[in-house]
Amino acid sequence: MKPVIEIKDVYKIYKETEVEVKAVNGVNLSIKSSEFTAIVGPSGSGKTTLLNMIGGLDSPSSGSIIIDGTDISQLSSKAMIDFRLHNIGFVFQAYNLIPVLTAKENAEFIMQLQHYSKADRDQRIHELFKAIGIEGKENIRPNRLSGGQQQRVAVARALASKPKFILADEPTANLDSHSTSDLLDIMRQLNEEEQVTFIFSTHDQRVIDRAKRIITLEDGKIISDIEK
Amino acid sequence: MNIKLAWRNIWRNRKRTLISLSSVSLAVVLAVFTRSFQEGSYAKMIENSVGQLTGYINVHQAEYWKEKSLDNGITVSDSLINTIETVDGVTAVDPKIESFSLVAHGNHTKGALVAGIDPDSEDEHVKLSEKIVEGRFIKAVEKGIVLGEGLSKYLKINIGDTLVMMGQGHYGQSAVGAYPVVGIVKLPSPELNKQLVYMPLNLARTYLSFDDGATSLIVRIDDQSRADEINRAINNKIDTTQYLSMTWEEMSPELVQMIEGDKSGGIIMIGILYMIIAFGIFGTILMMTEERKKEFAMMIALGMQKSKIIIISIYETLYINSLGLIIGTIITLPLVVFFNIYPIRVSGEMAASIEQFGMEPVMPTLVDFDIFWEQIVVVLLIIGIAALYPIISIVKLQLIKALRK
Repeated sequence: MKPVIEIKDVYKIYKETEVEVKAVNGVNLSIKSSEFTAIVGPSGSGKTTLLNMIGGLDSPSSGSIIIDGTDISQLSSKAMIDFRLHNIGFVFQAYNLIPVLTAKENAEFIMQLQHYSKADRDQRIHELFKAIGIEGKENIRPNRLSGGQQQRVAVARALASKPKFILADEPTANLDSHSTSDLLDIMRQLNEEEQVTFIFSTHDQRVIDRAKRIITLEDGKIISDIEK
Repeated sequence: MNIKLAWRNIWRNRKRTLISLSSVSLAVVLAVFTRSFQEGSYAKMIENSVGQLTGYINVHQAEYWKEKSLDNGITVSDSLINTIETVDGVTAVDPKIESFSLVAHGNHTKGALVAGIDPDSEDEHVKLSEKIVEGRFIKAVEKGIVLGEGLSKYLKINIGDTLVMMGQGHYGQSAVGAYPVVGIVKLPSPELNKQLVYMPLNLARTYLSFDDGATSLIVRIDDQSRADEINRAINNKIDTTQYLSMTWEEMSPELVQMIEGDKSGGIIMIGILYMIIAFGIFGTILMMTEERKKEFAMMIALGMQKSKIIIISIYETLYINSLGLIIGTIITLPLVVFFNIYPIRVSGEMAASIEQFGMEPVMPTLVDFDIFWEQIVVVLLIIGIAALYPIISIVKLQLIKALRK
């Protein structure tokens, strides 16, 4: 199967003082469609930096990141935003829902940016809310949802417009064990039933236990890449 | 979506939004009030000193303004009046005689300004009959006269008493007369109130031996703001070797200077007020931007273009400030109209100092929509400048740094 993400000899070097810090140090990696991959490693190992570069939020100092045939390191800032909109879903550690929008409005945010019709949006959000177990919460604003419910809305938002893959940066870090378990069940189910590609950066052993592939980073380098 | 997001965002922090709304509203109220009172006072000053005497445009003999003597008066002819009346904007032309005389009653004598007027036209334009405090206003054909209230008090003269007048008539002839007082008028200008004697034009001509004469022609116009233009048109039509048409600004340069000087002080005050408003508006926009940088970054990460976020932020700024402008205007408009109809009457030392300048101690507002527009445009300009901050912040937003916040 053709990889959806190809990372070729990627470096990210910070020069904040006289000393150079190699946050990502010559990473080569390829991720295929339908993978359920966890990027793990201690704090400062470079996993979030790597995830940010895959998501086009940050650019590599050198090397290339090719997503579905497009070298995203060559895209302009504006083109990159548009590329993210149509290809990448994000789930953040702190949910990052828009507080003034309801759960449904948050979930359909990306679909609206992509100019989906109201009927299509309604149908898709209805399906997703049902699938991830937050049916009936459509008109509630984030501040009245639990952490687990908010993160489910964030997952629905990421999935709504059917991106090529979903990047989830420590998605369970703010959740209790019950919510974590439920969320992971949902994600795994979506991966298996709808072939959604998930890439996590995580410390959480429960995420690692459910991942099909575990990539371990240390000092910006891949030290192991295990497929279960 | 942009409009919905912006509207909901402004109500995210109700207290702050209400404070911002109030500060913009208050700014509009204060600025419009200050300017309306200022312009109202100027209009009153002009009306008091110009309206009662010279009119907004005055045609006289070419040398009269240099030496205000009956000998420099004009013979009023229909052709001269018709020539002036055909100028666009002129609504009426009224001959008037002004001269100084010594007036006496009982043991009291005083110098007075005698004004021979067309009572009907003068009343129509200056509403003198409304200012009568005792008796009645003069008629075109009669021998009665009306005195300023201050003058009547000084002379201790009452309605029905006879005023003895003595002065110099046309070409040095003696002018002597005794006329019954039919009314006492309270003029807005305290200075005029102490010295004016109104008499019908024909009676004044007889008293001063100046048949068909006048010292000036008061030109009534439809729009005071067109005085310059109409004055130029009159001067183009009349024989300027004999006659001269002047605007009130040319005739009262000291009044123009005083208004200009006062306006400069007012501009500084309004400038300070706007500075305070600007900082208030900027403070709100600054807080709204800084506390949402992470949210902006998240929206960009999800695929929203920066230009869309800028549009939302502009909508937010416009919503808050437009609402403030509308509320401020709604509050101010009826108050400005009220104080125009019922001006504030100044008392005490302030009133005395205003009267020293020969002005009526009242502070009316001027109902002029241009004043509202000026303030709205200035506030919108301030908003426009303050709105640059979120625009620049969003353009320069560092995604990773903002997401880490």
